[in-house]
Amino acid sequence: MGSVLCDWPSFDPHNFSQLRPTDPSNPSKMAFATYHPPHSRTLPPPDQVITTKAKNILLRKFYERAEEKLRPKRAASENLILEHGCKQPRASTSC
Amino acid sequence: MSVWNYVVTAQKPTNVTHSCVGNFTSPQELNLIIAKCTRIEIHLLTPQGLQPMLDVPIYGRIATLELFRPHGEAQDFLFIATERYKFCVLQWDAETSELITRAMGDVSDRIGRPTDNGQIGIIDPDCRLIGLHLYDGLFKVIPFDNKGQLKEAFNIRLEELQVLDIKFLYGCSKPTIVVLYQDNKDARHVKTYEVALKDKDFVEGPWSQNNLDNGADLLIPVPPPLCGVLIIGEETIVYCSANAFKAIPIRPSITRAYGRVDADGSRYLLGDHAGLLHLLVITHEKEKVTGLKIELLGETAIASTISYLDNAVVYIGSSYGDSQLIKLNLQPDAKGSYVEVLESYVNLGPIVDFCVVDLERQGQGQVVTCSGAYKDGSLRIVRNGIGINEQASVELQGIKGMWSLRSSTDDPFDTFLVVSFISETRILAMNLEDELEESEIEGFCSQVQTLFCHYAVHNQLVQVTSSCVRLVSSTTREFRTEWNAPSGYSINVATANATQVLLATGGGHLVYLEIGDGVLTEVKHTQMEYEISCLDINPIGENPNYSQLAAVGMWTDISVRIFSLPDLNVITKEHLGGEIIPRSVLLCSFEGISYLLCALGDGHLLNFLLKLDTGELTDRKKVSLGTQPITLRTFSSKNVTHVFAASDRPTVIYSSNKKLLYSNVNLKEVSYMCPFNSAAFPDSLAIAKEGELTIGTIDDIQKLHIRTIPLGEHARRICHQEQSRTFAICSLKNQSSAEETETHFIRLLDDQSFEFISTYQLDPFEYGCSILSCSFSDDINVYYCVGTAYVLPEENEPTKGRILVFMVEEGKLQLITEKETKGAVYSLNAFNGKLLAAINQKIQLYKWMLRDDGSHELQSECGHHGHILALYVQTRGDFIVVGDLMKSISLLIYKHEEGAIEERARDYNANWMSAVEILDDDIYLGAENNFNLFTVRKNSEGATDEERGRLEVVGEYHLGEFVNRFRHGSLVMRLPDSDVGQIPTVIFGTVNGVIGVIASLRHEQYVFLEKLQSNLRKVIKGVGGLSHEQWRSFNNEKKTVDAKNFLDGDLIESFLDLSRSRMDEIAKAMGVSVEELCKRVEELTRLH
Repeated sequence: MGSVLCDWPSFDPHNFSQLRPTDPSNPSKMAFATYHPPHSRTLPPPDQVITTKAKNILLRKFYERAEEKLRPKRAASENLILEHGCKQPRASTSC
Repeated sequence: MSVWNYVVTAQKPTNVTHSCVGNFTSPQELNLIIAKCTRIEIHLLTPQGLQPMLDVPIYGRIATLELFRPHGEAQDFLFIATERYKFCVLQWDAETSELITRAMGDVSDRIGRPTDNGQIGIIDPDCRLIGLHLYDGLFKVIPFDNKGQLKEAFNIRLEELQVLDIKFLYGCSKPTIVVLYQDNKDARHVKTYEVALKDKDFVEGPWSQNNLDNGADLLIPVPPPLCGVLIIGEETIVYCSANAFKAIPIRPSITRAYGRVDADGSRYLLGDHAGLLHLLVITHEKEKVTGLKIELLGETAIASTISYLDNAVVYIGSSYGDSQLIKLNLQPDAKGSYVEVLESYVNLGPIVDFCVVDLERQGQGQVVTCSGAYKDGSLRIVRNGIGINEQASVELQGIKGMWSLRSSTDDPFDTFLVVSFISETRILAMNLEDELEESEIEGFCSQVQTLFCHYAVHNQLVQVTSSCVRLVSSTTREFRTEWNAPSGYSINVATANATQVLLATGGGHLVYLEIGDGVLTEVKHTQMEYEISCLDINPIGENPNYSQLAAVGMWTDISVRIFSLPDLNVITKEHLGGEIIPRSVLLCSFEGISYLLCALGDGHLLNFLLKLDTGELTDRKKVSLGTQPITLRTFSSKNVTHVFAASDRPTVIYSSNKKLLYSNVNLKEVSYMCPFNSAAFPDSLAIAKEGELTIGTIDDIQKLHIRTIPLGEHARRICHQEQSRTFAICSLKNQSSAEETETHFIRLLDDQSFEFISTYQLDPFEYGCSILSCSFSDDINVYYCVGTAYVLPEENEPTKGRILVFMVEEGKLQLITEKETKGAVYSLNAFNGKLLAAINQKIQLYKWMLRDDGSHELQSECGHHGHILALYVQTRGDFIVVGDLMKSISLLIYKHEEGAIEERARDYNANWMSAVEILDDDIYLGAENNFNLFTVRKNSEGATDEERGRLEVVGEYHLGEFVNRFRHGSLVMRLPDSDVGQIPTVIFGTVNGVIGVIASLRHEQYVFLEKLQSNLRKVIKGVGGLSHEQWRSFNNEKKTVDAKNFLDGDLIESFLDLSRSRMDEIAKAMGVSVEELCKRVEELTRLH
C-alpha cells in the first residue's frame, strides 16, 4: 500500500505547507468578493459569437454529394483556364 | 401579499457540482475552480490553504466546467456550458483582475430531444475541437482554427441513442471520441469514433468493446504515454485501448466522481455513493499496461467531484454533505484511514424540507432545514444576524452610559465598568473570584452622572461630568487634577481618548484639553454659532493615542463639522439636510478606509468617506437602522474593529471587501454598549437593555449563522411543535449490510438540544411522506400527524399508506390512533379543526371523532378526485390550493353545508410542480421542475363560469433553482414601525442549498425597482456575455417568455457594490439622488 501512496505530484512544494486542520464539526464559510463585471470586455470579439450551422444534416449530405458530382467538371474547367491562361500572355504581347 | 414580487437570495448555493484545477489566474499560480450550479468560485492555492479570490455569478445553470490550454497560451482558459444551451470561454486578465470573454454562443438546436442522462461537454486534449452531446442522436462540434479561435459549430449524427458517457482519447492523430452507451437490450458497450472535421462526420474508430459491466457509466481517458480509457462499472473496472484489455473486480459500488492524480495518468481517486475514497492504480512496464490495482483510502463526504490539488491535498466537492479539503497520508490512522480532513465547507443542499421557528422567542424567525442526504444528512439552523451569548446579567434600571477602564495603561484587560445614571455613577469591577461586584474609584465623582470616561496615558483615568473633567490615577484610584467648566456653564457632551479631551458646554463653547502626567491643559477654546449635539475624537490616524481630527455634530443648522486638532479650526462642514439632529458621530477605519459615521435622532445613519489629511467628506450614504436615536461605539472581535449601533434595532456595522455591511444583532432594544474585555469575560460586550445590564460574547461577524446538527441519516420532513418544545422529523437510514436496505423513522427531537428523545420505527417499505403538528375541534391536545406510504418494489404508485396520530407525553411519542389510506399521504394540513390529506390523486378530509370509550379516531368526511398526484397542498380559510405532479395549480373550496370539496378554478398549463404557497386570498405561488416560479390569480369577477374557472397566470420568472418548499415567515426581526417590517415575505429552500426570500411589494415600489433593474442590466454585464433578461425568462419545454411581475433582488442589491461613478450614472437615469437610491436598496438588503 505504501508504494502507491507516495510521490504525490507537486506543482509548488510550499502549497498547503502552513495549513493547519480546522475543526471539521465547525465547517467554514469562505468570504468571497462577488464579481459584477461593469465593463465591455464581457462581450466576445464579434467573430467569436458562435452559432450552429443551420443546415440540416441530411441536406448537408445531399449538397455534399451534389458538390462531389460537380467536382471533376470543375477540375477540368480549372485546367482549361490554366491552358487558356498560358495563351493569354501571348495574346497580351500581341496587343 | 401581492403579485409584485421581489426574489432575493439569503444563502447562496452551496452544492458543489463541478471542480477543476489549473493555471487560470497566472502561469505560476495553481487555481481550484468550483461550480455551485449558478456560480463559480475561483480559489488560489497557497501555503496557508485555499485562498478565495472571486465568486462569479453565472446567468445559467452550469452543465459543464472545463479548463483547457489553447495552443500558444501560457495559462488556461475556462469553458462553461449552461443547461439552457449557452456556452462561453473565459480568460483571466491579471492586470485588471477581470474575466474576459474570449468566445460565447448558443448551441441549441431547434429540433432535438434533450438527453436523459445530462449534458456532456468535452474538449479535445490537443485543442482541435469542443464536443457537446446535448440532444439524443447528435454530437455537436465546435472546431478550433489553428490560431485557437472557435469556428461555427455543426452537428454529426450519432447512432447511439442511450449515451452514458463520452470522452476524448489522448494521443490520437485525429480527434477521437470514445462512447459508452446502452443498446435496446440494456447491454452496455463502448465504441470509438474519429471526428473528420473536414467531412463533418464520424469515421469508425480504432477499437470497440462490447458487453461491459451492466452498471458501467463512467469513462476516464488515460493520458500519454499509456493512452486508452478506463471504464468504471459497479462490479468491475476495465482498462481498454487498441492493444490492451485489463479488468479487475471491485466491491459493488457506484462511482460518483473521479480525480486524476498524476500527469501520466497512472493513479486516480474514485469516490463512491457511500463516500468511500479509493485509489485506482494502472500498473505498467514502460508504456505497456500490465494490470489495475484498487486500494481503499478512507471515507469522505459523498463526492460529486474530486480535484487533486497539490502535495497530497485533495478537494472533495459534495452535493449531499459539506465539501472537504483532505490530505492523503502515507500511514493510516488508528481507524485504518489514509484520509485526513483538513477543512470542511458548509453545504445546505439539498434542502428537502424546512420550517421557520422562533426558538429564542425574540420575534425573529430561524430556519431549520432538512439538509444533505444519506449518511451526510443533517439539520441546519440558519439564523440571520449576530447573536449575543449571555455570560452574566444584572437588573439595573436607568443606565445613561457605560465605559470600561483598565487599571494600568499597559494592562491587556479591562478591570472597571463605569455605569452612569441620571444622578450617580457606579463602578463595577472584577474581583479575585472573577465576579463583577460594586467597587469604587475614589478620585471619581460618584454623586453625579458621568458624561464620558476613558483611560489615559501615565496610568490615569479621565472622567467628565457636567461640571468638570477629572484626572485620576488608575493604580491608586486617587484624584490627581481637574478642569472646571466656567461658572454658569455646564458641560453637555464630551469625548476623550488616551491623551485628549474634547467637550462642549452650553452656548456653543467647544473646549479642547490635552492630558499630561497629572496635568490637564486647556489648549484651545472656540465658540460656535449653535449648540453642539455630539462629538468624537477616536484616533484613526497613525498614532493610536492621539487624533488630528475631531468630528462635531450641531443643533439648529443640522450639520456635522470636521475640526483639525490641536488648533480647533473647522476644515469641513457638511449639512445633513432634514430636521433631525445628529445624535452620535464616530470617526472609524475599516480595512484601511477611513469613515465618518453620523447617527441621527430618527434611527437613520449617514456614512461618509473621510480623507484623513484634508478632513474632506465624500460619498455620502444614508441607511435606516431603526426609529430611535442611535449611539455608536467601536468594539473588537477577533482583532478586527467593528461598530455597534445601539438603538431600538441594534446593528453591527462592519466591512467586507471594502464595503460597509449592516447586520442585525439579535436583541430587541439596546440603549448603550461598551466593549468589556476582562480576563474572565474576554472579548465581551457590556450591553444595557430594558432595565438590565448584560455581559456577553458576540458571534462571528457575518450575516447568516448556520449551526449543523449531523444526523447520520437522511431527514426528509420536519415540523415544530411549540407546546411540547420539540421537532418531529421523518427520516431514513441506509443499512450498509450486504443487502442495501433502508429503514424509516419518525423521530422526536428536543428543540433546544436537538437530541433524539423518542423514535417510532415505521414498517418495512413504509416511508414517511408528510408531517404536521395540529389540534382538532373539541380537543385541547396538540398532535403530530404523520402521513406514510408503503413503497413496494412491484408497484408503480403506492396503493397503501397510513395516517399516524401521535401525542408527545413525557417526552415520548405515543401513537394515539392510525388510519389506513389507499395510497401515499403526500401532504397533511390542519383544516377547520379537521385533517386534510392529499392521498395519491385525491384530497381527503378527516373528522376527529370521539368514540364511546373516550378514544379518538379519524373518520373520512369528504374528498375530491381529479388530480394526477396531489403532491403539495396549502389551505386558507375554506380554500385549498393543490400543486399537482403535472397539472399545475388548482383551487378547491370546502362547502360546509354540503360537507363537500369542489374545484373552483385551475391553471390549465402542464406545470410539473415542486412546491406551492398561498400569497393572499387571490394569489398563489408555484415552483416547477424547470426551475421556474410563477404566480396565478383567482378570477372571482370573471363574467362567465369558464373565466372564473381559470386561474390566470400573472407572474413568471426563471429562478434557476429547484424549490422544494415555501414557508411564510421572515429571517429578520420584524419591527412594526419600520418600512421593511411591512413587507410580507415567503422563504424558500432549494436543492442547491439556497435559502431565498420572496417579498411582496407595493406597486409603486415595484415600478421603481423594475426601472432600477433595467438600468442595472445596462451597467452590470453578464459574465461570459450571457444575458440577464434571457436568464430570467420563464422557460420550459413548451415556451420561453420574458419574466413578469418578479424582480431579481440579487441584481438590484448588487447596485451597492458599484463604484460611485456608476452609482451616479444610474441615479441620474433614475432621476433620484444616489443617497436616496442607496438607502432604498440598503433597506431591501435588510429583508434577508
